[in-house]
Amino acid sequence: MKLIKKQIPFAIVFVFGMLTLVSYYVPHPKSVAFLDTVSQWENIVSSFAFLLGLFSLFYTHYAKIKKKGDGWGYSLFVFVGFLAVVVPAIVSHGRQMSGSEMTPLGWSFRYIYNTLLATMFAVLAFYIVSTAYRSFRIKSVQAMVLFVAALILILGRVPIGEILWGKALGWTGHSLSGLMNWIVDVPSVAGKRGIMIGIAVGAVVTSLKIVFGIERQYLGKD
Amino acid sequence: MSHTWMIAGGWLAAGLTIFIFSFLYKDNPFFKIAEHLYLGAGMGWWFQVYLYSIWIPKVADPLRAHQWAVLVPAVLGVSLVTQFFPKISWVSRYGFTFLMGYGAGLAIPTMLSTNFMSQIYGCIQPFTDVSHMTRLGMLNSLIVAVGTIAVLFYFFFSVENKGAVKKISNIGIYFLMAYFGTTFGNTVMARFSLLYGRFDELYSYSGANYFYATQVLLAGMVAYFLVHGLLAKKKPEGGAAN
Amino acid sequence: MLKKTLELLFNIDRRWLFLLLALSIFIPIVRPLGLPNKNISADVRHVYEKMNSLPPGSFILLSLDYDPSTRPELHPQAMALVRQAFERNLRVGVVTFIPGSTGLIDEVFSTLSKQYNKVYGKDYVIFPYEPNIVAVLTQMASNLYGIYDKDKYGNEAASLPVMKGITNYKDMGLVVDVTGTSSIDIWVQYAGDKYNVPLAAGVTAISQPSYGPYLQTGQLKGLIGGMKGAADYETLLNAPGKGTSGIDALNLAHILVVVLIVFSNLGLFLVKYL
Repeated sequence: MKLIKKQIPFAIVFVFGMLTLVSYYVPHPKSVAFLDTVSQWENIVSSFAFLLGLFSLFYTHYAKIKKKGDGWGYSLFVFVGFLAVVVPAIVSHGRQMSGSEMTPLGWSFRYIYNTLLATMFAVLAFYIVSTAYRSFRIKSVQAMVLFVAALILILGRVPIGEILWGKALGWTGHSLSGLMNWIVDVPSVAGKRGIMIGIAVGAVVTSLKIVFGIERQYLGKD
Repeated sequence: MSHTWMIAGGWLAAGLTIFIFSFLYKDNPFFKIAEHLYLGAGMGWWFQVYLYSIWIPKVADPLRAHQWAVLVPAVLGVSLVTQFFPKISWVSRYGFTFLMGYGAGLAIPTMLSTNFMSQIYGCIQPFTDVSHMTRLGMLNSLIVAVGTIAVLFYFFFSVENKGAVKKISNIGIYFLMAYFGTTFGNTVMARFSLLYGRFDELYSYSGANYFYATQVLLAGMVAYFLVHGLLAKKKPEGGAAN
Repeated sequence: MLKKTLELLFNIDRRWLFLLLALSIFIPIVRPLGLPNKNISADVRHVYEKMNSLPPGSFILLSLDYDPSTRPELHPQAMALVRQAFERNLRVGVVTFIPGSTGLIDEVFSTLSKQYNKVYGKDYVIFPYEPNIVAVLTQMASNLYGIYDKDKYGNEAASLPVMKGITNYKDMGLVVDVTGTSSIDIWVQYAGDKYNVPLAAGVTAISQPSYGPYLQTGQLKGLIGGMKGAADYETLLNAPGKGTSGIDALNLAHILVVVLIVFSNLGLFLVKYL
């Protein structure tokens, strides 16, 4: 049983890990064909991972409705929302346009899915304003650097910023966009590049651990 | 779809938008309904996309054409779902180890080349052509190189933060702050852009061609809060508990 | 007295701030300020010039990976790119790696194909959504029909006139990824760096600063960032759209944020020393 439960899965991770790694560097037709096939497989396997999320959402809300727990009525709307997209999709065979006509799925995309998703994210704009007012505190030189960079970017991205800058600080001979580009291209690049290199080292180490079976947390317990 | 459907869609979209924004004033049932619809519709959208772009054309169609090789990834995929059944959840390991092996195997060379080697090269490369550089260009390249090294010091030597190491990693923090500052500045633009998008749509639904959907629904929402507020005031103290 | 007023202002109900923001964005939508967008970013110009340098008939691949959550920033970018491609008679292929984008892709092409009299299958092609970008990018390096054997509508992709002579990255003039995710990292890692594919990108403002290093090394040929980038591109094309009107609407809101940060910090300073 240990063989089926543990050793074969570890063999799978090792074999596929090593073969894909080696294939990256070997331009032989066989390695290319291998990578092609495995890539197509991977595409199919990962699509099933979505079902994990779907089932767990459905199960949570089904349980809530069944138990008539707090606010169970709202849980019904999870299923209403799901059907409001899936039924039109089936009617329209997954197409949003038929010629120049919008199909029921196109309608559902535009007025339901698009609206809900876009508005949920748009709400965050309001919290930026209250954060700016209440939590953006310049208490150290480091915070000052952050503030100055942010200030120049916020102003530099809109036309009115350049106009105001020209009136107040035009005499310095430096344009706001010039300053903004310098911050984005020089100190900010250094900061981000340091982060990138740091992450790359971390990712390579973690990947090696996975391939060699040292990192096993993703498998869960026995 | 007919004109009537478009108008109905406008009303629905304006309503859902206003319901979600109403949370900014106070939590309320309309927001909760929209929130739950969002969860369901989001999953529904993903489901139909997977259905029509993977499961039918890449799994069902090949199987119907007797291309049995597709059974391998399909079975590995289905194995993931055994996660929900504790007794056989170990079966899902076959799917997960395949995904992890493939992902890790590809991540190693690409991370090394793109985010490690190329970035080090990016720091050094400007200095290979010094004769063509302006003084300012040279200074900027030097700042980038020094800044990158300082940030790395901050990350890798954070345990032993003493003496010269501490000084260098402190310089690193300033570069990180500059990066976070630019990110914050740009986040403001990004978030406001999204809000602009919603308001722009609400504005288009406020026209006579949509029978003033935005105004009517907004007025309805305000009326709800007014009535709700009045009723809450009228209730005797402790009434809420009963 | 001043101290008390300031303290009162600090504890103001945040809903007043929300209202201020709502007004500062809504008013310019109804009554545009009409301020000119003058400072075109060099990174945006590079994308525009690269597209313009391609001979007519060249094939460009657009990876449109954004959904409604980032639509106001990225949709105008995609529209501007397709507009330019159609104007210059380039052939356009579209791929996508996030499910939420398929509806928006249809919107782009149903609007612009009519405007420029472009025919599906001859001038442009849309491929179906694929979940795993890494797998697809790796596969497309050798033979893209291995993964995209059919287009979105089930036609044999290789038989479409638009795909004539196109097998892999080598046959493409440019790849542009318009994305609200981190897919551009993957494009750089798995296609750009490894197979020398000329790559450019359109990204949200939030992720724009992350790509500075790629621009400096030339791993990216150009970058369109956020609403401002979209407005810049529309200005270059001389075709004002949602990017231009959007950036106009953001003027007041940006000033509002700066005023709030400065005011609250000055106020705090005063409260401390009064």
